[in-house]
Amino acid sequence: MSFQLSHKEIDYIALIGNPNSGKTTIFNSLTGLRQKVGNYPGVTVEKKEGKISLSNGNEITVLDLPGTYSLSANSPDEKIATDVLLGKSHGIPIPGVIICVLDASNLERNLYLLSQIIDQHIPVIVALNMIDVAERRGIKINIEKLSSLLGVTIIPTVASKQIGISELISSLQKNISVSPFARTWNLPEKVSMEYKELTSLLIANDHRNEKAAYHEAQVLLSSLRNTDSFENQYSPETLSHLEKDYENLSSWGINRHSVFVESRYKWIRQILNECVTLSDNEEIHSLSDRMDAILTHRIWGLIIFFAIMSLMFQTIFSWATIPMNLIGAGFNWIGHQIGAILPPGDLHDLIVNGAIGGVGAVVTFLPQILFLFLFLGILEDSGYMARAAFVMDRVMRKVGLHGRSFIPLLSSFACAIPGIMATRTIENPKDRLVTMLVAPLMSCSARLPVYALMIGTFIPNITVFGIFGLPGLVLISMYILGLTAALFMAWVFKRTLLKSKSSAFVMEFPPYRVPSIKNTFIHMWERAKIFLQTAGTIILGASIILWFLATYPKVDSTNPSERLAHSFVGQAGKIIEPALKPLGFDWKIGIGIISSILQREVFVSTMGTIYNIENGSDKSLSLREQLQKEIDPKTGLPKFTALTALCIMVYYVLAMQCMSTIAVMKRETNGWTWPAFQFAYMTILAYVGTFVTYRIGLWIIS
Amino acid sequence: MSKIKKMNTLAQTPAGKKVRVSKIESQPETCHRLLELGFCENATIRCVVNGSNQLICEVCNTKIGLHHSIANSIIVTPLEK
Repeated sequence: MSFQLSHKEIDYIALIGNPNSGKTTIFNSLTGLRQKVGNYPGVTVEKKEGKISLSNGNEITVLDLPGTYSLSANSPDEKIATDVLLGKSHGIPIPGVIICVLDASNLERNLYLLSQIIDQHIPVIVALNMIDVAERRGIKINIEKLSSLLGVTIIPTVASKQIGISELISSLQKNISVSPFARTWNLPEKVSMEYKELTSLLIANDHRNEKAAYHEAQVLLSSLRNTDSFENQYSPETLSHLEKDYENLSSWGINRHSVFVESRYKWIRQILNECVTLSDNEEIHSLSDRMDAILTHRIWGLIIFFAIMSLMFQTIFSWATIPMNLIGAGFNWIGHQIGAILPPGDLHDLIVNGAIGGVGAVVTFLPQILFLFLFLGILEDSGYMARAAFVMDRVMRKVGLHGRSFIPLLSSFACAIPGIMATRTIENPKDRLVTMLVAPLMSCSARLPVYALMIGTFIPNITVFGIFGLPGLVLISMYILGLTAALFMAWVFKRTLLKSKSSAFVMEFPPYRVPSIKNTFIHMWERAKIFLQTAGTIILGASIILWFLATYPKVDSTNPSERLAHSFVGQAGKIIEPALKPLGFDWKIGIGIISSILQREVFVSTMGTIYNIENGSDKSLSLREQLQKEIDPKTGLPKFTALTALCIMVYYVLAMQCMSTIAVMKRETNGWTWPAFQFAYMTILAYVGTFVTYRIGLWIIS
Repeated sequence: MSKIKKMNTLAQTPAGKKVRVSKIESQPETCHRLLELGFCENATIRCVVNGSNQLICEVCNTKIGLHHSIANSIIVTPLEK
């Protein structure tokens, strides 16, 4: 939808800003569209759009561009923003107006991006965000003066408290003009001459428009590559001129890589000198400095990191038990009520055993998933995540990756999909691919139901070392196994398929903040919705289909086990049983594994459905009790043991049982090669890993 | 002070000290990245934590974590205070 803006039709506006400038919070406030607000650089990786409602009743589309420091497109993430602004992005026109979000406490660096945008002659409104933080740090900004020196409208905002948002929206309805001070920064005269010549050549010989030529000439002159690599992209005249420029600049003793950046900063500093006064607030420094010193300490940092992780997994397990039991009891009750109404028969079994049994088995794990997201949200919002990446850089370096890769891996504890998308902030393409390949090894929330079922059923709740509960310890060891496997595979890939030197660690640390309860709860609510939607669609469907396959064809037998063994599922399970025998799995587990290729948590609903059918007569038992009670007819001993449970968990830690991840990998790598490779290597890894676990377990028992 | 000034890098700066950037000597890519993060000529840096092979410093009011291999390429002069 478009609307009248300074007598010109504009299609949409775009939001741009440095990572950590609070851009995503402003986007949320402007559009009311709810999504994740991160606290470490580069969390906004998807293309996000929303609508702003104006007071005159019109609506305007706003596009949230990925956070970027400049228009030089260092990472795939930054390239998106740059391409959109320069009109190089297919299907996305240059925005009619840009709202540039600046972090008021870090103006110097933030103005760098603004000055590049102003130079593109696009109308700009500045949201001078976090003005309260700046004031607390002793930074005084004369906004009126800054506005007149930059030639743009500036609205002071505190997005986290909704301050300045309505002013920002109403300023959109006023006349927004292009800054008269575009391109007024000065290059050294000789450079300026060469630069102008190159710009005209690009327009004349290479059919660039004026704006593109202006930007491209800077990129070319400060480029890190040599002219050979541009060979087919430019006319010979342009290239020979460029070659001459490189020689001239170096003979004049000018560093062409930095001269543009330095000149721009000089302009920025002149402006800042006139309208910003600083008075150091030592108090704020000292507290956050001390926290940094402890949290990133060589030894303390690691101890604190692992302590936080242990606490997180212990609490997920113990706190979630009460709501989990309530949900489980709730589903049982519903099953009983409906079961009492329906006459015995296939429909009764389909609804009670198939649908309610299957969906109930999975939904029970909702509380644990919510606790996981609560913890991850707090870690991110508080600013700890970037420090953890810094601490883990030492570990990541050993396997050949950058500390930056750690954040996508940590996000993959929630779900590999946002994890894989977060790899877009990694500059080195090979490092990025390695991170994507190993991200699904991190135990995501979909594995939690499988772990929880196995641990809750087969791991005795005893206390070890005085303080730790054994179930919690087993759970954290599954997470550590996933992390170790991911690091090991990264090490292997970095040494074989994807050799490259990774750059040293440089990363911005967001300031420490008290996590926003509102943001965290909104995020948890969204996760709950996604989880319940899956339970209501995919898992419900899978449960019904599975019920059918496990009930038909019917045989004349009163023994439910025998009937199950003759069903489609039973027959299929028997076929694959030989392949699973070495892992200690029977055909029922085999069915669980196959049915959960789409999604891991389906394993739990499958088990729920299968056991409900088999023990059809006795509905009072929970899935856990049914699993515990099953006796192997040959040996007379319990069929499932703690070892079986462990093997199932190890299998799920390592196997790629997730179609959505495969789809995201295909999109991010532009092809089927890498997802296919990933599926293959993880399946082999899972098979071998489970086999080894089973053999070692048997050996210990005997 | 002697006439031959000893080169100081950010990596050698003790925690709590303020220094000024005089030059960055590194690969062009790294230089560019550092410049964008605010490590430009004459910028003031405050070293926050200096660990065994990593350090945290504050430049342009933002904290930045760096590996020593990069911090070594940032040549600095001490600021009197």
